[in-house]
Amino acid sequence: MTAVTANAVSLSWYEASARQRIDALLDAGSFSEFIGPELREISPHLSIFDLPEQFDDGIVVGRGRLDGAPVLVAAQEGRFMGGAFGEVHGAKLAGLLRAARALKHDVLILFDTGGVRLQEANAGELAIAEIMRAVVEARRAGVNVVGLIGGRAGCYGGGSLIAGTCSRLIISEQGRLSVSGPEVIETNQGIEEFDSRDRALVWRTMGGKHRYLIGGVDMFVDDEALAFRQAAIDALKAGKRCDVAVLEAEQARLKRRLQRFGEAEDAVEIWRTLGIGNPSDVPALPTAAFLRAANDRENADGAR
Amino acid sequence: MSDWGMQKAALGERRAAGRQHAKGKVVPIPNLPALLAAVIRSGDRVCLEGDNQKQADILATALANLDHRDVHDLHMVQSGVVLPSHLDIFEKGIARRLDFSYSGPQSARIARMLFGGKIELGAVHTYLELFARYFIDLTPNVALIAAVSADKDGNLYTGPNTEDTPTVVEATSYKNGLVVAQVTEIVDKVPRVDIPGDLVHFVVEANRPFYVEPLFTRDPAAITETQILTAMLAIKGIYAPYGVRRLNHGIGFNTAAIELLLPTYGEKLGLKGKVCTHFALNPHPTMIPAIESGWVEQIHCFGSEVGMEDYVAARSDIFFTGPDGSLRSNRAFCQTAGLYACDMFIGSTLQIDLEGHSSTVTTSRIAGFGGAPNMGSDPRGRRHPSEPWLKAGAEAAPDTNAALRRGRKLVVQIGETFGERNTPLFVERLDALELAHKLDLDLAPVMVYSDDVTHIVTEEGIANLLMCRSKDEREQAIRGVAGYTDIGRARDAKLVEQLRQRGVIQRPEDLGIDPLDADRNLLAARSIKDLMLASGGLYRPPSRFRNW
Repeated sequence: MTAVTANAVSLSWYEASARQRIDALLDAGSFSEFIGPELREISPHLSIFDLPEQFDDGIVVGRGRLDGAPVLVAAQEGRFMGGAFGEVHGAKLAGLLRAARALKHDVLILFDTGGVRLQEANAGELAIAEIMRAVVEARRAGVNVVGLIGGRAGCYGGGSLIAGTCSRLIISEQGRLSVSGPEVIETNQGIEEFDSRDRALVWRTMGGKHRYLIGGVDMFVDDEALAFRQAAIDALKAGKRCDVAVLEAEQARLKRRLQRFGEAEDAVEIWRTLGIGNPSDVPALPTAAFLRAANDRENADGAR
Repeated sequence: MSDWGMQKAALGERRAAGRQHAKGKVVPIPNLPALLAAVIRSGDRVCLEGDNQKQADILATALANLDHRDVHDLHMVQSGVVLPSHLDIFEKGIARRLDFSYSGPQSARIARMLFGGKIELGAVHTYLELFARYFIDLTPNVALIAAVSADKDGNLYTGPNTEDTPTVVEATSYKNGLVVAQVTEIVDKVPRVDIPGDLVHFVVEANRPFYVEPLFTRDPAAITETQILTAMLAIKGIYAPYGVRRLNHGIGFNTAAIELLLPTYGEKLGLKGKVCTHFALNPHPTMIPAIESGWVEQIHCFGSEVGMEDYVAARSDIFFTGPDGSLRSNRAFCQTAGLYACDMFIGSTLQIDLEGHSSTVTTSRIAGFGGAPNMGSDPRGRRHPSEPWLKAGAEAAPDTNAALRRGRKLVVQIGETFGERNTPLFVERLDALELAHKLDLDLAPVMVYSDDVTHIVTEEGIANLLMCRSKDEREQAIRGVAGYTDIGRARDAKLVEQLRQRGVIQRPEDLGIDPLDADRNLLAARSIKDLMLASGGLYRPPSRFRNW
């Protein structure tokens, strides 16, 4: 534990709401919200479809302290429209990132999203592009942008693209990170390609362990708010570079990864190629044993 | 009648016809169609084994592939109409009449076929009732059953999913019927003899296991806080005061929540050892935490549950297991146990009307009953006393002579006032009545009759129908826990308040329950993985339930 205490003793990140996650992540009592629910900044589109709105449009943004240091934070609420990006939702995150660049404060993004809202797709897609640009600009200005992934909705679609631009990503076993979701793949390519109801298949393809093993994320933690907090503290201490050399290194790594694993039919084959003994046991491994087995994972340390 | 022994002679002819396609009793799988065509005669009463869990799926497909010019007008008598092939048999004109019990996944198609006249319906039964009729007026001429393995003499090992097999074979084989079994493999010696070989005429080696549906697995991750509140109400407001030790739980998230609250909330109330010690119940994965923390003494099972095999085998102190170590389930015995030896049934339903009748039928779906109406009924033939039974009887008839007073089984319906897709649980008129009208049935398919229901639990509170003294009180007690549904909003506030004063309706606050305490943190397991961990790795959840 650090000198500054957190709020929660034990809280499942997967189960928690956006606000519970922020409370447990930041130093106790340090959070203050921007554009809170009392301002009722709701979606201008949902009422057209007779859909319920929320006063925070499914995302909580604000400032607080992490281990004493000032940070900006955004948390998506996966239980409202699957945490999907709409116009207001997206604008709140884009604005936060621009503020981060101006204030030189690090940013924590607590992803919990299925991607863009279909009902406000144009505004949502635009927001994704603006947010990615804002992340890169903030990073170029020397700001860390750390993504935390472990909510029920996972991190899909536009959310996964934003995650790809972050300086560090933290994930739990329950977390999922992928551009296309299981149902989307099945709908487009057929059940032979991907059985979205086979949850074990979904998790070994998109889940936290696999993403960690192939270098899609940087840190793997237990599904505990305090574990996410400690990992976020550590992540902010890591390098802040974001330049051509870093991008080229990442490009080279992705090319290597495709050569190495491109023929694999299933995640288990990749794990075997990585040299993990008993690769089919990976899903059942508890965290400590998994981290030991993951010693020779693909990693993106040089590329972020 | 002069020619006695004609049935035995007819069986002899069928066996001789079948032997053309077999080597001894063993039928190579390519010969299966020819075998069925040889032993099944048009107009036969055929029992195709299959219930809400296990399926003789290979035999079902083979039967559906027969030519209706060779075999037609069959009368199917079977527990479950579950596989598409079960209805293909009717679609293709191989069978005409149907007596069954459960049709879960085929509920919409079976309704369409009934409306279209493709199926001539005998009746929708409870399992036990259908089994009973196998021995009286629905005895099969041919039974097509499923087992794990067989030896060449036909001795069968049914493994953990024995379920209906002994009953079906008993009724068929001892009444000159013919029995064909599909088995995964033929072995030299079966691990245990569940069905003696001399009752089995032919075995088909399928080279793959019969299908089993994991119907009783409820993912704790999907349990809502409202369901947790209903579970807290049931535990504190019914389990505790009646001291319910012997019971059955229906399928559903409300009862799964109860199971997961026993080691936490139940423990806090000091109920361990006082409630929930003996069950007629399938091996629900959500029972693992309660079993592991020493709540449960004994469980007898209707069937098994996919992934629970090793756990059950390792907990033979709790479950019934054979000399081979694996579970022995038996649906007929367990249904009997649930009827006569349990003091309570608690389960969810889709619709409850103002009298308290409940039904899972909607106008476009006929899901059948399975065992619920049997579990959820008061057995008038019961004679042994127990504390909950006597207490419930006294509440129903306080003024009668105690020594002459029947006890009452507690039959509890539990649910949220608005169910899936915000459909109200409470209705003015059951859809089952509409269906009965459209199909010209003598009886509306009611799952639990109002005179059997003793309590209704929703997030609004508990209605104790035993203590209602008139039709009007009963209606207001139901409206009183119906919340914001149309039924609830039309309540007579004054009468409802009077019922509450008498304890007929108990709100959460009347029981000292704060709805804000209904938190998922109360669940002894919040995910399938928690259940696996609680079992020490013995529970192996099927792929579709794993999020790791």
